[in-house]
Amino acid sequence: MRFDEVYGPDGVRPHYRELMDRLESLGVDDLADRFGLLDSFFQTLGITFAVSGDERGRDRTWPMDLVPRIIPSKEWAHIESGLVQRVTTLNRFLDDLYFGSQAALRDGLIPRWLVETSDGYIREAYGVPAPKGSRCVVAGIDIVRDSAGEYRVLEDNLRVPSGISYVLENRVAMTRVLPVAFASHDIRPVDHYGASLARALRSIAPPAVDHPTMAVLTPGVANSAYFEHSFLARQMGVELVEGRDLVVDDHIVYMRTTRGLKRVDVIYRRIGDEFLDPVVFRQDSLLGVPGLLGAARAGTVTLANAIGNGVADDKGVYPFVPALIEYYLGEKPLLPNVNTYLPWEPDQMEMILSRLDHLVVKPVGEAGGHGIVIGSRADEATLQRTADSLKANPRGHIAQDIVDLSTHPTFVGGKLEPRHIDLRPFVLSGDHIEVVPGGLTRVALREGSLIVNSSQGGGSKDTWVLDRHEGGQGAISTR
Amino acid sequence: MLDVTYHNLLESPPEDEATAWSDLLAVLYLDRSFGERAIDREAVTSYLVTDRENQGSIYSAVARARENARGLRDRISTELWEAINRFYLDLGRPDLETMVVHRPYEVFRTVKSQCQLISGVASQTMPRDEGYRFIVLGWMLERAEMTCRLLAVRYAGLNNSETRMGFHAWVSVLKSVSAYEGYLKAHDASLDPTSVLEYLLLDREFPRSVLYCLRTVEDQLNILAGPSQQTAVGRAIGRVRARAEFCEIASIVDDGLDEFLESLQIEIYGVANEVDLHFFKSGTDLQIHSYRSA
Repeated sequence: MRFDEVYGPDGVRPHYRELMDRLESLGVDDLADRFGLLDSFFQTLGITFAVSGDERGRDRTWPMDLVPRIIPSKEWAHIESGLVQRVTTLNRFLDDLYFGSQAALRDGLIPRWLVETSDGYIREAYGVPAPKGSRCVVAGIDIVRDSAGEYRVLEDNLRVPSGISYVLENRVAMTRVLPVAFASHDIRPVDHYGASLARALRSIAPPAVDHPTMAVLTPGVANSAYFEHSFLARQMGVELVEGRDLVVDDHIVYMRTTRGLKRVDVIYRRIGDEFLDPVVFRQDSLLGVPGLLGAARAGTVTLANAIGNGVADDKGVYPFVPALIEYYLGEKPLLPNVNTYLPWEPDQMEMILSRLDHLVVKPVGEAGGHGIVIGSRADEATLQRTADSLKANPRGHIAQDIVDLSTHPTFVGGKLEPRHIDLRPFVLSGDHIEVVPGGLTRVALREGSLIVNSSQGGGSKDTWVLDRHEGGQGAISTR
Repeated sequence: MLDVTYHNLLESPPEDEATAWSDLLAVLYLDRSFGERAIDREAVTSYLVTDRENQGSIYSAVARARENARGLRDRISTELWEAINRFYLDLGRPDLETMVVHRPYEVFRTVKSQCQLISGVASQTMPRDEGYRFIVLGWMLERAEMTCRLLAVRYAGLNNSETRMGFHAWVSVLKSVSAYEGYLKAHDASLDPTSVLEYLLLDREFPRSVLYCLRTVEDQLNILAGPSQQTAVGRAIGRVRARAEFCEIASIVDDGLDEFLESLQIEIYGVANEVDLHFFKSGTDLQIHSYRSA
């Protein structure tokens, strides 16, 4: 039995009644028309992306669904507190690891070897300060809803999580395409994100700087998230720079401008750790800035997110996060993990191999849904291959119970059909932690598919967090 | 402004709705003619877009512009005439009234892109003769006055609000004059009411700031009427431009923003009347009608 967001055992859930009535009253033809309008909205904005496998190299328009996802304020309050708790912990853990006494390792909360064998663990980053202890300045925490309707954390994204620009543009699109449905709900706004991000970044500037100069560092126009990089620079009113626009001189970072060099204090970087500084990391990287790590270590510039965060979103470290929450905060975790099994523990390995067709196996370092094997849907050969690679490299994988993601009515092929969804809320850490109401709801557009990533045929939904009126009661009288 | 107000309100608490609509009507000088009708989204939107009785509706304005353009076919480029006529024909489509109620975004998008098209066509196809300079003069005078008006109406309601909604309201003020992205660049995404005010009144680079508009008006008048100190119209624009040029935002706020904006508007009307006297002698006396008594 899976959980449907809209239809409960007693029919349409109360917080969806208003919306579903309205969609029904519009009729299928009108919905199809509006769906076309959505497409033209994103085309005009130029929000498209390349789809792998399209040999003609055409870009596809950002696939946003017409039917929004609604989260009642009480449920959101629960998610929000859980996220604040989790991200606070992850910040503490990373600061402990890279700047502190590594107390969590010393006290045996998590095996030292596990941390040190993580691809995301960057030894060279030890001693780099993070003002306010804020290392996950922007975190994207993926949340799913299991068949009992419970929200669970599926994974943490603490390096360069993307998607927030789609949250903001989806919202704009939704108000254009279904204005009347929108107006009859009291929905928490999201468009202050740029200001909130700027505030968070400003708050982590090196201590002596009063009016920090900030910049967004992008790999360049060829990157698939370039739209988002320029979007965020625009929303914050700061420069968008590439590695070649920055120079480091005597541990101070400057950007080249038409009037000479200008000192930069905070860099929101959207380049992966290994490309950041060719002096320390990949020497063939043309994207980075030689000397950047040295400047960060000297504390003359703050990088957001901090270097080395990948160790905390390593899927092998993920199972330890609930214990870390209790360790650092002395609190019970509010949002549970998905049940996870560790192949490097011999007894668990045995259990995993015997139940492989009931589990999902994930590589620890991948993102974007790559390399995932869902046991119940895999053929014999795939299962065998998976068992082999598990045995060859236990540390490189985890196994989890298969979560039958909740479903949500979605406009597909001219009618509403249930499709699986997840949720990626965005959490900002500056001098305090702020969660953007809602986040990016991703939807697997293929029937029955559990893979929601946009590179693999996923779409998205506008996500409404209700403010006060639960039943979606029509606050404004209108037709 | 209508587009921004409309879509901004969708995300605002319902109690803000009526105020926002009556503010918008006040900014557009249409609060009196709208009269005692019930104020809501549909009524105001239709009134502003399609209402043929309303002299200030988009439909009426475009119809009048097209009539004027028809009478000036010899003075304007064919491309400009076609752009204006096309716009007029687009607004004549029979389902416009239902469109504007159910799917306003498409209507707003068309109106905005047609206006942009017309100004682009004018600037790319018209010789820089008197005709073109009068077009620019009119645009800029109206824009300067409208920005004053917008600030006067919106600032009064927003000055005290430090809330979350206050933030979104300032964003909407900026967006409604296409100033949001420019402002963010100039001010690092910190939305401070005084800075917004300064940007929209006194910025030297933003092409919709009051100062920028007044400087452009002065430039045009210097060419159309000769050196400014020699004519009444030149002295009028010189005075108001200099006033905006050399004042500081802090003292404006201290001395009373309302008074400042109102006197600026009166002076802008003065310039418009002098333009009329100098060039046309039609004797129309344009007068500000105060938003404060409304």
